[in-house]
Amino acid sequence: MDINVKVKPNLRIRAFYLFFIISSIQLGVGIMGVPRLIFMESHQDAWISIIFAFFYMLIVVLAMLIILKQYDNADILGIQIDIFGKWVGKLLGTVYIIHFAITLLSVLVTYIEVVQVFIAPGISNFVMGLLLISLIVYSILGGLKIIVGVCFIFFLLSHWVLFLLIEPAYLMDLTHFQPAFQTSFTELLKGAKITSYTFIGFELLLLVYPFIQNKQKASMPVYIGIFWSSLIVLLVTVVSIGFFSPDQLERREWALLNMFKIQSLPFIERFDYIVVTEWMMVVLPNMILLMWGIIYGMKRLYKIKQRTSLYAVAFLLLIFCVFIDQHFLIQKVIDNIAKTSFWLVYVYPLLLLPIVLIKKRWKKRKGDGRHLSN
Amino acid sequence: MRKNPKSSSLFPIKIEELQQLMQNKFENNPDLTFSIYEQPKRRIAVFYIGYMVEAEMVENYLLRPLLNSSEKWSNKSIRNEIPLGNSDKKERLEEILQKILIGEVFIYVEGEDSAVSYLLAKKEKRNLAQAETESLVLGPKVAFTESIVTNMNIVRWSIRSTDLVLEKLIIGKRFPREVRLIYVNSIANDTDVNTMRQRLQELEVDQIEDSSVLMQYIEDSSTTIFPQFYGTELPDRFTYAIDKGKIGVMVENSPTAILAPTSFFSFFESTEDLYMRWNAGSFLRYLRFIAIIISILLTPAYVAATTFHYELIPTQELITIGESRSVVPFPPIIETLLLEFIIELLREAGARLPTKIGQTIGIVGGIVIGTAAVQAGITSNFLIILVALSALASFTIPNYLMSTSIRIIRFPMIILAGVLGMIGIMFGICFLIIHLLKLKSLGRPYLSPIYPFRWEDLNKALFRLPNAYQNKRFASYKPKDLIRYRKRKAVQKKDIDE
Repeated sequence: MDINVKVKPNLRIRAFYLFFIISSIQLGVGIMGVPRLIFMESHQDAWISIIFAFFYMLIVVLAMLIILKQYDNADILGIQIDIFGKWVGKLLGTVYIIHFAITLLSVLVTYIEVVQVFIAPGISNFVMGLLLISLIVYSILGGLKIIVGVCFIFFLLSHWVLFLLIEPAYLMDLTHFQPAFQTSFTELLKGAKITSYTFIGFELLLLVYPFIQNKQKASMPVYIGIFWSSLIVLLVTVVSIGFFSPDQLERREWALLNMFKIQSLPFIERFDYIVVTEWMMVVLPNMILLMWGIIYGMKRLYKIKQRTSLYAVAFLLLIFCVFIDQHFLIQKVIDNIAKTSFWLVYVYPLLLLPIVLIKKRWKKRKGDGRHLSN
Repeated sequence: MRKNPKSSSLFPIKIEELQQLMQNKFENNPDLTFSIYEQPKRRIAVFYIGYMVEAEMVENYLLRPLLNSSEKWSNKSIRNEIPLGNSDKKERLEEILQKILIGEVFIYVEGEDSAVSYLLAKKEKRNLAQAETESLVLGPKVAFTESIVTNMNIVRWSIRSTDLVLEKLIIGKRFPREVRLIYVNSIANDTDVNTMRQRLQELEVDQIEDSSVLMQYIEDSSTTIFPQFYGTELPDRFTYAIDKGKIGVMVENSPTAILAPTSFFSFFESTEDLYMRWNAGSFLRYLRFIAIIISILLTPAYVAATTFHYELIPTQELITIGESRSVVPFPPIIETLLLEFIIELLREAGARLPTKIGQTIGIVGGIVIGTAAVQAGITSNFLIILVALSALASFTIPNYLMSTSIRIIRFPMIILAGVLGMIGIMFGICFLIIHLLKLKSLGRPYLSPIYPFRWEDLNKALFRLPNAYQNKRFASYKPKDLIRYRKRKAVQKKDIDE
């Protein structure tokens, strides 16, 4: 397997779209429930936890970018093989693929559950799964360029939902944030850690990077993407804490969606219906990108044709999502992902960075002065 | 011994042999006129198809000088004496057969090694008329006709420059037809021109019936419902697009010219937006964008809300809808499909019938069926309004092909809404967007400038701004010359009371 990826010029994307890739993969189903989770850990100072999380993510992303810049045009799968050798490298790559797959499954079942709870109690997991998976397959068949286009357009078409937060924001009770700065530092860190599932996904950068056309401009869009998703999570958390009393908030699984219930227009009474439907545009790019990560990774590691693996994974996904239909089961899946992926996404790059740098220096000293990747 | 007509010259040949040959070729066509005239020691044959040529011209300008001539006939003397400009020499049988069918008259002097031909075609054509399918309130009203010569004439009068290229291509293996590839050399993108030329040249088909058929042969995706090239019958729209760097294709005997590459958004702009002032133009364009949303989503939303999501509708309106639906025996999806079907029937009948009857049927049918349907309790009043509104909205789209597509999309949407409710509608919307993203027009993305995103093109696709802010061509299509209009240099911002 080649360490570097050869990408045809017409398949490359501009660095500017990284912003949309990062923010659409981070904003998904997690944000619907995260205010309650953070609040349960760090109470009225939840917003500080999110700022912590944001800065920590910046460090991780910076590490990722430095790792990637050591090579000409490599992704994480190639880098791991270069560093750890063929077998360990492939094993670690497989871990990434499994991580993507389980995350994808969790997003899928969570969204199906939300739809069933809020608007269509009668709809079966199978039908919803079929609808969503067929859309995923249909857009992936167009290739990465189309996938990025889906992210971009759905980003534009779904962000009007933010305006619906204005009314709850007016109804906020600021005393809910008092007394400020009372939470202990460990609790704040726990609060920051609990956001890990929400913010998961930006590790896809490690796979997409070779496809970027103008790599020297790649870092800014990534930072802004991270900033944007943190900002929105911060906004949602602040408004939910202000809007709900602590007791209410702790009993609401999807606090964000509940806030939309109160508004109405002369011709629409229940906005949560619209929002839950509209949320399809938020979760679809998310799932599409994860699915792309899975099948692209399989192609890189095992040389399986993307078309074959796409249909196979889609079929398996459909079967799994039919069987995972109980709330506690879904929560269990999510909790487990949050635990394991924390190490993979938030810690592992920081460990990998020194190894890559040392190896680069060692190779340089070895003599030929050629670039590591050659 | 017969020579191979394809490879080498037919001539010199004996006149009797030539006559035999021609008559064999036109065995079942009694319209070949083949006459032989004699001079001392010289014979000539004049042959043509009677109804394809101007008989008077042949007599006055061709035969009379020829027969009155005192000189010895030869190719040279003929060309000198006949007072017509468009003479040509033909040597191969293939060529002669092809040209005689478009109205050329051939003169062959026995012993010479080529035949002289004159184009004296008689072509039946209609006069210029007003545009039927794309009508404008302001601006030029004339439309293209079936004659490609007339159409090229109109275009040339608008773009008087040698930069305008009208490449001639012959398409159709069995029944060839003239096709023109039209672009401005100093503006149009070379890759696009080459792609278009290649697609036209590689097309192997018996015949192309019309430019809309040609369009389907050379489109990027033939399975989609959306047209990827713009067919227009308006010369002003055509020349405007050519000036923007697009490539035009005209087909003989077709009043519709093709424009490519085309983005999805250009189907919703009309040249009238340009003739209006910018604010009115933008307003109209937005009206059309809202119209497609209404046209696709209004009735599905009604079906979804009345079938699954009563809570969505505020109580006051729910009462109104409920009252008007109380007598209707069908579920909303059947009711809506029925009414949409009736509207489509009326439209189709109106289009097929002669104009005068069509209008009457449309009005009478609409009113009578509408009122009767409500009184009979088959549909609700409320739905009639929605269906009429969405039909009306679909007609605001300037392009007939696109407006038909939009109307058809509504039906699967209604079914999705009736089966799955709002989730179904959302599925439909997502599918449509992904589908549009995948489409291409002449290799250029269909949704540009939204995706791939180009900030500088956004104002042209989505708005109609004052000319000073819209002075550039569409950069997504990479024209050779970007600037269309130079801003006035004298405009300098003065301070107040200066």
